[in-house]
Amino acid sequence: MGSRRFGTPKAIPPTREAPEMRAIWRLATHPIFLRVAGILVGATFVYASLDKIARPDRFADIVHDYDMVPLIFINAFALIMPWTEITTGAALIAGVWRRGAGLLATAMTVAFLIAIAQAEIRGLEIECGCFTVSGMSTSEATWDLFIRDIPLLLGAMLVWRKG
Amino acid sequence: MAQPAQEKTTFENRACCPIVNETSAILTWAVARFPHAVRAALFLILAVAVGAAYNAAHPLGLPWLPSPGNRVGIPRAFETRLPQIDAVQAMSLYEAGDALFVDSRDAADYAEDHIPGAVNVPMRKWAELWPQAASQLPRDRTLVLYCYGAHCGLSTRQGKALLEEGYEDLVVLDYGWSTWTQHGQPTVRHPEGYPADEGSA
Repeated sequence: MGSRRFGTPKAIPPTREAPEMRAIWRLATHPIFLRVAGILVGATFVYASLDKIARPDRFADIVHDYDMVPLIFINAFALIMPWTEITTGAALIAGVWRRGAGLLATAMTVAFLIAIAQAEIRGLEIECGCFTVSGMSTSEATWDLFIRDIPLLLGAMLVWRKG
Repeated sequence: MAQPAQEKTTFENRACCPIVNETSAILTWAVARFPHAVRAALFLILAVAVGAAYNAAHPLGLPWLPSPGNRVGIPRAFETRLPQIDAVQAMSLYEAGDALFVDSRDAADYAEDHIPGAVNVPMRKWAELWPQAASQLPRDRTLVLYCYGAHCGLSTRQGKALLEEGYEDLVVLDYGWSTWTQHGQPTVRHPEGYPADEGSA
């Protein structure tokens, strides 16, 4: 196949002009840092999946509230997504195929960000459904959650790109 | 001639016929070109397989497609226990007087206008209201659950919650409040509003 590349270059080379960025980059891509980041992201995903796995019907209701997935796919989505989270999280913790798992974690986090942003922009007052689906949660889908997801995205991307 | 030592393992080495050749060529290319995306796809396939097996065994497992009436989030076990009725059937239940209507809309909407005799248990506040609401919802009468209208899942969710609490005689008014008013059926109207807590759980 041709030499066309998809995605970003392998590493964004830190500029000579910013040695402190170079130091941060060196730390962030250090194997130990990557391993710890993978475990933290993985643990977040595993923890987030447990309640959804226990009650797929309640999670389907929350997916319905976000009003993003077509009606006929909501049940299937609610059945598959928590298991994708736990599989990805377990792989990130165990360090198995972690760059592939990092890619999946990145994709899911981007999907969460889009879901939260569209809910907030449209003014939907809905339960987050992030870590609990009990209906007891007071956490709504808000910009706070959006910001909370950014470190998750960075960690997942780092594991995906530098593994 | 000595055979060269086995080269790179490719799916093509095990080719047998055109379709397999093509497929294995694509797989070989995909693994070489997008190794991590292929692994991500394998994780996804694993998740679907495990999720499907778990869902088949789960007592509150979901059907893969929406339940009759285009409703989602209803466990297989509850599908036939939350029948939908239309406005005409609701009217005959109303006239017979045996059924209790349960309004799952917000207290402010109930205060403005509701079906006569209906009890308000706002589903959005279910977790905090349920302990008090329990005494207001008899187990020996048919409960007719209604909410705002099309694609409003509030009553269905309330139905699920009540089934879990052991209620058995439940029906959901399809299209809820909107169909009731379109059929010109009686309502209790309070244009000035009245204390939202009156009659409300």
